[in-house]
Amino acid sequence: MDANNNVAAFLFLSPWLIGMICLTLGPILASFYLSLTSYDMFSAPQWIGFDNYIKMAFEDSRYYQSLKVTFSYVFLSVPLKLAFALGIAMLLNRGLRGLGFYRSVFYLPSLLGGSVAVAIMWRQVFSYDGIINQVLLKFGIDGPSWITSTDYALYTLVALAIWQFGSPMVIFLAGLKQIPQDIYDAAEVDGAGPIRKFVSITIPMLTPIIFFNFVMQIIGAFQAFTPAYIISGGKGGPADATLFYTLYLYEQAFTNFQMGYASAMAWVLVGIIGTATAASFLSARYWVHYGDER
Amino acid sequence: MSVLMNRRAVLRQGGALIGAAAASSLPLASSFAQEKVRVRFAGYVESQEQLTQTLAALKLYTQKNPNVEIIPEFTSFGAFTDKIATETAGGNSPDMFSVNVDLLAEYARRGVTTPLDAYVPNPINLSDYLQSAVNAAKFDGKQYAIPNDAIGPTIITNASAFEKAGIKIPADMWTWEELAETATALNKALGPRFWGVEDAGGNYIPCDIFLRSRGKSMFTQDHRLGFELEDMEAWYAYWQKLRETRATPPGDVQALAGNDDPSTSGIVAGRAAMNITLTDSFAGFQALSQDNLILHMMPNGFRGGEMKQRHYCYAGNSTTVSGKSPNQKHVIDIIRFMHFDPEGAKTYYVGSGMIPCSKAARDAFAATGSEADRKIIAYLDVLQKEPAAPRYPGVPGMTGMLTRANEGVAFGKLTPKQAAEQFVREVSARLKK
Repeated sequence: MDANNNVAAFLFLSPWLIGMICLTLGPILASFYLSLTSYDMFSAPQWIGFDNYIKMAFEDSRYYQSLKVTFSYVFLSVPLKLAFALGIAMLLNRGLRGLGFYRSVFYLPSLLGGSVAVAIMWRQVFSYDGIINQVLLKFGIDGPSWITSTDYALYTLVALAIWQFGSPMVIFLAGLKQIPQDIYDAAEVDGAGPIRKFVSITIPMLTPIIFFNFVMQIIGAFQAFTPAYIISGGKGGPADATLFYTLYLYEQAFTNFQMGYASAMAWVLVGIIGTATAASFLSARYWVHYGDER
Repeated sequence: MSVLMNRRAVLRQGGALIGAAAASSLPLASSFAQEKVRVRFAGYVESQEQLTQTLAALKLYTQKNPNVEIIPEFTSFGAFTDKIATETAGGNSPDMFSVNVDLLAEYARRGVTTPLDAYVPNPINLSDYLQSAVNAAKFDGKQYAIPNDAIGPTIITNASAFEKAGIKIPADMWTWEELAETATALNKALGPRFWGVEDAGGNYIPCDIFLRSRGKSMFTQDHRLGFELEDMEAWYAYWQKLRETRATPPGDVQALAGNDDPSTSGIVAGRAAMNITLTDSFAGFQALSQDNLILHMMPNGFRGGEMKQRHYCYAGNSTTVSGKSPNQKHVIDIIRFMHFDPEGAKTYYVGSGMIPCSKAARDAFAATGSEADRKIIAYLDVLQKEPAAPRYPGVPGMTGMLTRANEGVAFGKLTPKQAAEQFVREVSARLKK
């Protein structure tokens, strides 16, 4: 009977199991093997040990540029996006009528944000003849081409990321609704103002939610690809100013046919994301407060 | 205006449209035939028109040959290079596919494609084809591909802007110094948000012609670098000077133009009077502009140096055959049909924006083609009067390497010398493989 149950269970699980093993686990393990080879996709991979990793560390200045761009992006976009999402969530949490409507409207950019169409629109808005410069021109300012200037290009991508604040906002909103109103009432009786209430009640009560959003956004930001790919025409330009890690990886794999090197890059990225996530979890002990503790 | 906007929108979204068209195109064949042969044909196209005509020609072929089923897989050039590399690596290469000079060298060297000499001249007779294009489709002395079109380097020039500025269009045999002076004069007359010539510092072909003006070339026939570091430094310094004198746009404005997309170019956006490119882009540019565009030669020498025609013609698009294809005979017959069958060739070329590679077909086109076609043919004829040494195969990814170094200079991150060193380092690393 139990055995039959097991068979049935595995049968029902099989679509997922087969997908997991063939489409996910298999390629992951294969990519680790490839990262130790020189593989141009045409001829058989040749074993070269850790040469790809050594080249990455010591010989490839563009690799360091891609790290610099990606880390700048993560450090800028994640905190700003979370702050923005929290701000909007608090506005929406003031007992508005038609909350569902506003929530949907504010969530919309997140649905669209990763799309090619929005990246193209962003390009139009921030380009030399774009709407921003048209407005500036009215004030006699001849603005640069924001999207294709080494000074500003990365910041326009950060702005695009912040604009997609929808999913952390929805989660923040749910979290805010969980905070019991009586705590605020009690604080008010004690004479706490809005800032004091925010710092001493809202933020501490929300830390598990902030932590969750933080980890999810960090992981997502390290893997950012589509906006940079579309906006820079797939090149990470100008002058490598938006050469995201994933973009450089893609270029190595499919333009330069260095699949082994690209695989090695992918594994280093896994390591970076893993380390960042682990560090977040370790630090959580000091700043995240769960209701069931202490 | 609305027609223009539609055209513009179509071109801007061209890649996506073409991709969708390819994905949705059903196998072109009638379903009654027996022992059906399936032939996969992957390629890149420059425009919607070219896609339409190519698919029509293939459909015509399958109507006449019901035992053959052709599966068309066409896309834009950028998407194509990634796709073909991935498919080939996966052991799933199409039976026939498009290549340009650099891709041909890459794929022939790796044994992906097969020599076609056994089919020349019968049934593929290339005797009246542009010989420089035929040679550019050879590797190691063997014919690896059949050229589909004829192209040459050019400066697409907005004659209306010259007229407006009151500046005479220079003669064909002009110098690089004159290009710089003319472009600065255009900025003075029509500026400040207007520049004479778009920055071509990241563009392979004008760089090669610049090097040839110095008695060098980008590559040699035996696949080595054909220049010294100082030549490349001079190239980057040349464009830096043009930026300083406002002959060419600053780095951020130029970066908007991307590579070879008419819809984002400065000449279409009304920011520049000259764009250095290849003749196969001309129809696309003209379609997006209401001004009178003409084809002009790039400079052919330096002041005080030797003046000589240095533009080489070749094929922008050639068809090659996968070495693993079991259907080689059918593939050859499809190529024959598209090039030599009167009905097939007419469908393939007329209205496609491509200029045929054969002299007979070009002559027919000169009489019947569109105004843009006639301008291109007349220009190619001028280049044929004193043909220059051919373009030698390089390595894929040249545009990226040249552009990165040029942008490094444009944004003040590199000196021309450092840019030259960076470029030589990157291209040498690829050559070694």
